[in-house]
Amino acid sequence: MGERRRPPIFWALALLLALFIAFMYGPILTIVVLAFQGPNGGLVFPMNGVSLHWFAELFEPQSIGDIRGSFDRSAALGLAVTICTVVFSFLAGLGFRRRFRGASLLLYLAIASLVMPSIVVSLGIGALFELLGIERHWYSSALGAHLTWTLPFGLLIMFAVFNRFDPAYEEAARDQGASGCQTIRHVVVPIVLPSLVGVALFGFTLSYDEIARTSQSVGALNTLPLELQAMQTNATTPVIYALGAATTGLSLAVIGTCLAAVLWARRRRARYGSDAGRAV
Amino acid sequence: MKMVSLTRRRVLLRGAALGGLVLGSRRFRAVPAVYAAGPVTLRIAGTGVNQFKELADKAREELGFTIQYTSLVSDDVVKRAVTQPSSFDLLDSEYWMLKKIVPSGNLQGIDVKKIEYYDQIVPIFTQGKLPDGKPVATEGISPLKVAYLTAAKSKDFANTPSEWMTVIPTVYNADTLGVRPDLIKNPVNSWAQLLAPEFKGKAAILDIPSIGIMDAAMASEATGKVKYKDKGNMTVAEIDQTIAIMTEAKKAGQFRAFWKDFNESVNLMASGEVLIQSMWSPAVTKVRQMGVACKYQPLKEGYRAWAAGLGVPAHLNGKMLDAAYEFINWYLSGWVGAFLNRQGYYTAVLDTAKKFMTADEWDYWMEGKPANSDIVSPTGEKIEKAGAVRDGGSFYERIGHVAVWNTVMDQDRYMVRKWNEFIAA
Amino acid sequence: MNRLARAVPYLQALPLSAVFVVFFAVPIVLVVVVSFFDYETYQLLIPAFSLENYREVFSEDVTYRTYLMTVEFCAITWAITVTLGFLIAYFLAFQVRSATWQMVLLLGCSIPFWTSIIIRMIAWIPLLGRNGLVNQLLISLHLASKPQEWLLYSPFSVIMGYVHLYTLVMIVPIFNSMMRIDRSLIEAAVDAGARTSQVMRTVILPLSKTGVAIGSIFVIAMVMGDFVTVDVLGGGQVASVGKQIATQLSYLQFPPAAADAMVLLVAVIVMIALLMRAVDIRKEL
Repeated sequence: MGERRRPPIFWALALLLALFIAFMYGPILTIVVLAFQGPNGGLVFPMNGVSLHWFAELFEPQSIGDIRGSFDRSAALGLAVTICTVVFSFLAGLGFRRRFRGASLLLYLAIASLVMPSIVVSLGIGALFELLGIERHWYSSALGAHLTWTLPFGLLIMFAVFNRFDPAYEEAARDQGASGCQTIRHVVVPIVLPSLVGVALFGFTLSYDEIARTSQSVGALNTLPLELQAMQTNATTPVIYALGAATTGLSLAVIGTCLAAVLWARRRRARYGSDAGRAV
Repeated sequence: MKMVSLTRRRVLLRGAALGGLVLGSRRFRAVPAVYAAGPVTLRIAGTGVNQFKELADKAREELGFTIQYTSLVSDDVVKRAVTQPSSFDLLDSEYWMLKKIVPSGNLQGIDVKKIEYYDQIVPIFTQGKLPDGKPVATEGISPLKVAYLTAAKSKDFANTPSEWMTVIPTVYNADTLGVRPDLIKNPVNSWAQLLAPEFKGKAAILDIPSIGIMDAAMASEATGKVKYKDKGNMTVAEIDQTIAIMTEAKKAGQFRAFWKDFNESVNLMASGEVLIQSMWSPAVTKVRQMGVACKYQPLKEGYRAWAAGLGVPAHLNGKMLDAAYEFINWYLSGWVGAFLNRQGYYTAVLDTAKKFMTADEWDYWMEGKPANSDIVSPTGEKIEKAGAVRDGGSFYERIGHVAVWNTVMDQDRYMVRKWNEFIAA
Repeated sequence: MNRLARAVPYLQALPLSAVFVVFFAVPIVLVVVVSFFDYETYQLLIPAFSLENYREVFSEDVTYRTYLMTVEFCAITWAITVTLGFLIAYFLAFQVRSATWQMVLLLGCSIPFWTSIIIRMIAWIPLLGRNGLVNQLLISLHLASKPQEWLLYSPFSVIMGYVHLYTLVMIVPIFNSMMRIDRSLIEAAVDAGARTSQVMRTVILPLSKTGVAIGSIFVIAMVMGDFVTVDVLGGGQVASVGKQIATQLSYLQFPPAAADAMVLLVAVIVMIALLMRAVDIRKEL
């Protein structure tokens, strides 16, 4: 599409989005401000001096709570959950495009898993493992617990993705002699790739932030949100705000860098007319 | 110092990863050969209240044990203990929780003969009286009621001291209301003031039903509207009356918020959202450390007390069981006690702790005397200037005026239902 | 070959099904069994077949009030998130156009979620509290003479919290649906003289209703089961079904909690089934 003039509705909606983003970053604003509390500061106003103390603390072992260890576990778990969620829901999404017996049952099972209060699921998994005498770990029982949470999202988003997905693309590929796997790899995946990134984003975000389903299924070593929650039973310091500020800053920097790289590559491509990256 | 602990952490992580890989899920099961070969790792489940890294470091230094904390919110402690006993090697439990945990059979009796300092444990836990011989309050679950088992493997509490303890006591304290002396006009001296009109929209209590109901009962009784036979074990009618008073206050906008964890109470007080609320001792210290005035106000009706201890899960045996006993004995041997006393709690064996505290520290925390020099927290921050006196005064003035202990009532089921109603009102 | 082809959808659905069976269905069956058990204060589970727990759930006045309140929160949150979600998704899909910028804006909205919910929840106090940033701003701008207390620990703050958490969850599926709409349809409508608002209502809305339905399922499910947001932003003074279940569980009152959970599950499934009757999300795959 060419550079058409922006209609007024564009600006109205742009303003709405800007306000929404400002709203999304509301609590982040206080987190960032209060992360610069002085060494005796707390988690609320008034500010008690200004310092970088808590950012330095972030890299030291805490008196209460193991932020570093639990962060590593949460990141690894989030990654595993992300991969499983993308692969499993993509496959299931493909499956649902054809009729198969039990499809309705599976869909309602997924929805039930979404609806069921997380603590109940958590308790059930914890009790099941105890009953079977299997040790709970973040990479076994908690991984399963997280998947019961992320997969319904993944599956339903795949529904939106495959919504009116034109089978003509696949038929064309098959007519050209592509096998089923080749069709999926070279035709379907490239088309839905941006949405798969969306599913991955969902999977990671939901897992990284999960508390209730993890609480009874995680075993002896906590994930980050659980560790932070348990830290609340004692005096918590602005180090958690420093963590939030650092996470946000880092993510913004990474995204900013990627964006700059993409824009730069695109400009270069436009200038030299290269077709790199356009291949099937 | 910091360098050392960082390296240690890395070694631990690597060790844990390796262990996890090689042994998989059987790592923590009873596989004696593994323990004989490797160093002992004790997994302690409990709330974050006592889970200090300093303590774990010290245990590693003196015992060679690796302490692995599983920090949980108090709700989850009971759930874990009852449904997943194999997920820990030691349980840091509050005494009232024992009413729920012991019937599950998941704890084994601790042989008092193997507890080195058993005779020096404050008699609150062993005889139901203070060191000076005065009896301790019996309303609620006073520790003695749930301190002993009838046998090593038993689901029943013994009425009189036996050879088997449910948990070995570690810390206890007397709780009261925290106030903002800089923002309130008239001095507070009664639990009734939690419900006073002058604090409308500026009061808070905790939303942990079994503890919140006790604060509610202390306040209701102080207003003179309810008389209890035993606040710690209310009748249906008494629960109804209490909840009615609280619901009325809630509807009138008395409460700004109900808090669930320590940190929330600190935030509510420090931010000025709340001027009067039920609070825990270190929370008051924390608020003061932030430069905000806060007083742990002694009240004429007395304190609400709690106690916690270390329990041994039924699955522990062999070398791990020995290690658990060794750890408990070390816990009572003084260094930890001094650490906890400096935190504003009281330790179970006072004599050993005294040896690890300076005379000034002991006078401030235990005797209620003005501090000669600055008082420093166990983690090294200055918390009081010289000349300060502990709110509530000495050990005897505080623990001696306990009115009721945290509890689980016979009408627990009814009480929780009513509490839910109160929240929904 | 033919038999193999027929087996394909089963194989594709297998990993997902396996996860749900092992980690959801079996544990929940365990819980359901327990919901019929009897219980006493000091003995947790007494195997029995008792409908007492369900009777207790249904006979209490508070149950209905709590459910009503939860449904009310759910309806308000849904109305706000679906409006916001639709408009923002529309903007991203049809006005922004550049895939890069779409990605950047969506990512930008997700970044706040990478700061743990525990930390974000605490941060609302210094933002909305009596002495918080918003109140300071209002007072310094002379928009208010004294701190506004309804900003925090009120139904307002609970709903605001939900909107904050769940709008993105609404945007994503709607956006995905919209991206599948054939652009030539819109051009045709525009060429036929339709105004933007008409295009939105008569072309885009019907064609993206799958996304709207999916987003709605997410939001309804999450609000109905929530107990963290309602606890923190309601200051513990606002009830919800999820919170009620959490309290019961923390007192190890498994049977009534399980009974409550079953009632909640049925209620939400009914809501979603009604929604699916209006929009069959599988029909247009």
